Amino acid sequence: MKKIVMALVLTMLVSALAACSTSSDTKKTQAGEKKLTIAVVPKALDNAVFLDSKDGAEAAGKEIGVEVIWTGPTKSDAAEQVQVVEGLIQKKVDGILISVIDPNALKDVINKAVDAGIKVATFDSDSPDSKRSFYAGTENFSLGKQLGEAFAKLAEGKGTVKLATLTGVPGSFNLEQRIKGFKEGAAGVDIEYLPVQASDDDVNKAVTVLEQYTQANSDLNAWFVVGAWPFLTPTETLPTLKKFAGNGGIIVSVDSFYPMLQYVKEGTVKVEIGQDFIQMGALGVKNLVKAINGEQVEPFIDTGTVYVDETNVEEVLKNTKPW
Amino acid sequence: MTSTPIGKVKDSMLKLFRGSNDILGVFLILFGLCVVMTFASDNFLTVDNLSSVARAFSFVAIMAIGMTIVIITGGIDMSVGSIFAFAGVITAYSYSNLQLALPLCILLGVIGGAIFGFINGLLINECNLPPFIATLGTMSVARGLSYAITSGFPISMPSSFNQLGQGMIFNIPYPIILMIVLAIIFTFVLNKMIFGRHVYAVGGSEEASAISGIKVKRVKLAVYSISGFLSAIAGIIMTARLGVAQSTAGLGYELDVIAAVIIGGASFSGGKGTIVGAILGAAIMGVLRNGLVLLNVSAYWQQTVIGLVIIIAVTIDQLRYKKKA
Repeated sequence: MKKIVMALVLTMLVSALAACSTSSDTKKTQAGEKKLTIAVVPKALDNAVFLDSKDGAEAAGKEIGVEVIWTGPTKSDAAEQVQVVEGLIQKKVDGILISVIDPNALKDVINKAVDAGIKVATFDSDSPDSKRSFYAGTENFSLGKQLGEAFAKLAEGKGTVKLATLTGVPGSFNLEQRIKGFKEGAAGVDIEYLPVQASDDDVNKAVTVLEQYTQANSDLNAWFVVGAWPFLTPTETLPTLKKFAGNGGIIVSVDSFYPMLQYVKEGTVKVEIGQDFIQMGALGVKNLVKAINGEQVEPFIDTGTVYVDETNVEEVLKNTKPW
Repeated sequence: MTSTPIGKVKDSMLKLFRGSNDILGVFLILFGLCVVMTFASDNFLTVDNLSSVARAFSFVAIMAIGMTIVIITGGIDMSVGSIFAFAGVITAYSYSNLQLALPLCILLGVIGGAIFGFINGLLINECNLPPFIATLGTMSVARGLSYAITSGFPISMPSSFNQLGQGMIFNIPYPIILMIVLAIIFTFVLNKMIFGRHVYAVGGSEEASAISGIKVKRVKLAVYSISGFLSAIAGIIMTARLGVAQSTAGLGYELDVIAAVIIGGASFSGGKGTIVGAILGAAIMGVLRNGLVLLNVSAYWQQTVIGLVIIIAVTIDQLRYKKKA
């Protein structure tokens, strides 16, 4: 019995290792004369969020005449991402645009690339202490503020609005920034902020809290949802919210991922404001080329946001890749 | 014992369950909590709210059935939350990527969970790993596989499947009915079948059980497989409840499940615990979380309150025992 178990454990280990080592085989690119080569490295290759960034980066590359290669770890694993960057240093690309899985784990290899004469910039997720040239991403405070302003428009002339907030893990820096921004953006309307509720980044808890809280507070007028969690579900999962919106309740949410758009289409969520992953790729590549050519580039590039409401949801749906 | 008529009725009612005196304390705590909530909020004692609360805790309760059996043997299963996610992911992946028939997908998910439980048992029996370490390992493996299979993305499921988690009969959601059925089955297994007696015996003393001819390793293998199996069922029903399978589902739920079992009167030293107690324990946690939402307690304070109530509930239970001893 013991031997069988040991054999089982060994085969599992070996097959796991084999599965992990199918890393990016570096294809030799046909070196177009003096054409700059920019490598764009997402957190994981098959992460649908980054497919937008890929499109943005490739379009920008075509526009300004640089080669864009898309390479990265097969799964979100910091060690594997470090290896990918090591490979790019060997390959002597001109620039690397990377969404780091872990700011500290990637710091050394980013610095190594910069020391080897490669310009490195980050997008979506930053490594601020590294020697990277700039970070292209969404500023969470301004994202929250935009959503607050959009909410203010919806709530105008409705008197005092009782608003509930659903966050993820209380204290997460980016979420707190969004909440702060929202309050500033919506400062114009009379809002009674109810105590913040949390989902702990758990879809199940998010759905349960939304349902129970909405049922319990019949005088509630509005929900501000600070992240995608409850709306990653099919719309049939939240009948309570559909009823709430049908009775004039206003729901706005941060993020605009594919499953979430259905909630806007259905009319349950009035406005969604998400990060613009296309622009992260496009502006990232364009500014990286500027940096390579010796031009001055700001250390933070705000890639803006995607605004979704009933007027444009069909169009956004058409341009968004299904998950 | 008392010889008054009321005492007799009480005694005979309590005989329904093994260790039924344990249950009384937990039941009173739950009852007290419900009374307080009824007075504190007009919205507590409504059909909508109660069915929502019960559905929310039924998933933890189903996992707690398996965890109770594990803890009675003196073990622990840290992998339940991960197996919960893994089973949902396997079911959803088989459906949406492999395009298999739904019943087969569900079966694959359940088998996947049971296999993980079986591996837990093997690691504990054959590699002599402490249950905490063995299941901590599989907790990470099962979670990791869920990430790898989905690459972090939620997988949507069709309405026909989601009925399992969203549908209801007379306002009673299916997950609650399933929880009750499973609780009855496993209470019967523990109290009326030889296997159940063996489970309690192993928890009381492994050596004594072995000497008296109980196949201790087989009992453990079965116990961890049951836990994996039930976690998988809970995970699949949760997938139906939400309409999506997620690799991050059930993150940290093992702690809720263990808390429910311990509140329900089980002891980490083994040999003690009931399934009804564990379900009442899960209900206490569910009512508590609901209470915090209904009473508008800020999220920044909720964790603190939950922790305090767990400590108080278990302390009251302990004091009751000391008094009796």
